[in-house]
Amino acid sequence: MAFRLVTRNLRNRISFKLRSASLLHSHATSFGFKEVREEDKSQMVGKVFSNVASNYDLMNDFMSAGLHRLWKDRLVSKLSPFPGMKHLDVAGGTGDVAFRILESINSIRHRALQDTINDDLREETRIYVCDINQNMLNVGKNRALERGLGEDKSLVWVQGDAETLSFEDNSMDGYSIAFGIRNVTHIEKALTEAYRVLKRGGRFLCLELSHVEIPVFKELYDLYSFSVIPRLGEAVAGDRESYQYLVESIRRFPPQERFASMIVDAGFHKVEYENLVGGVVAIHSGLKI
Amino acid sequence: MYRTVVNRILLSGGGRRLLRQPDLRTVISSSRFSTTTETQTIPNRPLNPPDSSSLSSSSTSFQTPPAAGDVPRHERKNPRAEYEGEQARVLQASLRHVLRLGWSEKAMIAGAKEVGISPSIVGSFPRKEAALVEFFMDDCLQRLIDRIDSGEELQNSTPSQCIYKLVRIRLEMQAPYISKWPQALSIQAHPLNVSTSFKQRAMLVDEIWHAAGDETSDLDWYVKRTVLGGIYSTTEIYMLTDSSPEFRDTWLFWIIGERCF
Repeated sequence: MAFRLVTRNLRNRISFKLRSASLLHSHATSFGFKEVREEDKSQMVGKVFSNVASNYDLMNDFMSAGLHRLWKDRLVSKLSPFPGMKHLDVAGGTGDVAFRILESINSIRHRALQDTINDDLREETRIYVCDINQNMLNVGKNRALERGLGEDKSLVWVQGDAETLSFEDNSMDGYSIAFGIRNVTHIEKALTEAYRVLKRGGRFLCLELSHVEIPVFKELYDLYSFSVIPRLGEAVAGDRESYQYLVESIRRFPPQERFASMIVDAGFHKVEYENLVGGVVAIHSGLKI
Repeated sequence: MYRTVVNRILLSGGGRRLLRQPDLRTVISSSRFSTTTETQTIPNRPLNPPDSSSLSSSSTSFQTPPAAGDVPRHERKNPRAEYEGEQARVLQASLRHVLRLGWSEKAMIAGAKEVGISPSIVGSFPRKEAALVEFFMDDCLQRLIDRIDSGEELQNSTPSQCIYKLVRIRLEMQAPYISKWPQALSIQAHPLNVSTSFKQRAMLVDEIWHAAGDETSDLDWYVKRTVLGGIYSTTEIYMLTDSSPEFRDTWLFWIIGERCF
């Protein structure tokens, strides 16, 4: 009920903004299919995620039929985590990717062979989970407790903005952002920040919903996105507007090639992308040399 | 003969790795509606065009010399060459850790740390352990070619003696890693890696025959190389279990094997 009130207010505010949008042409950005002021976008995104935080994981499972787990597994296996790694997961509020990385490092496979040096290294591992929204971080911390990782000092939860990270230059071995870069107001800034915090040899990985070009599948996917998902959002989370924003923001995000060239512009080498499920999701990767 | 000339050009400098890598723009075939993947690479635009001149001289490429309209493509090679240079440095350093850690990601991580680069770079190598093994194989082939080129010891030998000497030189390059060589062989036999390792062995065998003075150009060309490849591989496997001083038994095995054919 409260969610409906909030979203009604949101809708009113958006329509007001649209009327005054004609005065704001040079500093407007997209919030789904709507044009809004840049300064307002992060606030509006913040509201969306405050609304969805508690049901975020459940909705992910519903919308992707559980596939998002496989996609995140693929992201982490591409990363090839190692003991002693310093990794930054941006917009990773509920901790999905961070938990996977930690589990990969602590897995039997790594422990089987070794020697005290490796144990010391594992102690030095740090996974920083950065999110702009405190609610998402709180959900993540609770999940960590449930998994028994509450006391693990490898996990560090930090509130912060992808466009102005509080980490030092050349301090991270890896940077990942899963389903988050779409929500950033200035994507180039986020990419530049990623380049700044990575060490030499560090990898940038981005998992994001992307564009489908396959003919029939594209129509089916559009149908699913615009008809099924907002209704599902309403039924499960009681919040149709947020999920309408979600599907619209996917369409506004640059297609795979264009995003890859943006990554190249930020200075990364060996930029590649891999389409999963015909382009519904794409993993872009880059390397800092 | 032309084949080896081409090979020499291909193998020179940084260009050699380009032969081994598949065309980065090609799409790996996949069935459309499953969750399998296509990978595509975007060519880098150069960050510092004025610096490209020093890099371009070290990374010789085998394409035609850049024409006026080709300048962007020529400059584009440099970021790739930079990446490949770093990759080669890391792999070279990793070889020193192979005896202790095997042909594995751990050795490559140790190598990256030694060179001062974040071990995350290992995650970007295609087919990780195979990258290390293939690098080693390329390196050995290059050293063999250098020995051939400096070739005093090969003069005044019959073809058969020549082949014996070259194979011995080549297998001796593997001798320091013999305790971990079975692992390398199993990596090379893996379905994903088989085509590359087959190509590398084919080049090796071709190089040896050419150095021995082979001039055939009919079906015999294939027969000779296949036979040499077979004897070479069996000798290599025999070497794995040979504990005689300086692998004397292996060289005896080779001579017997050769006589049989």
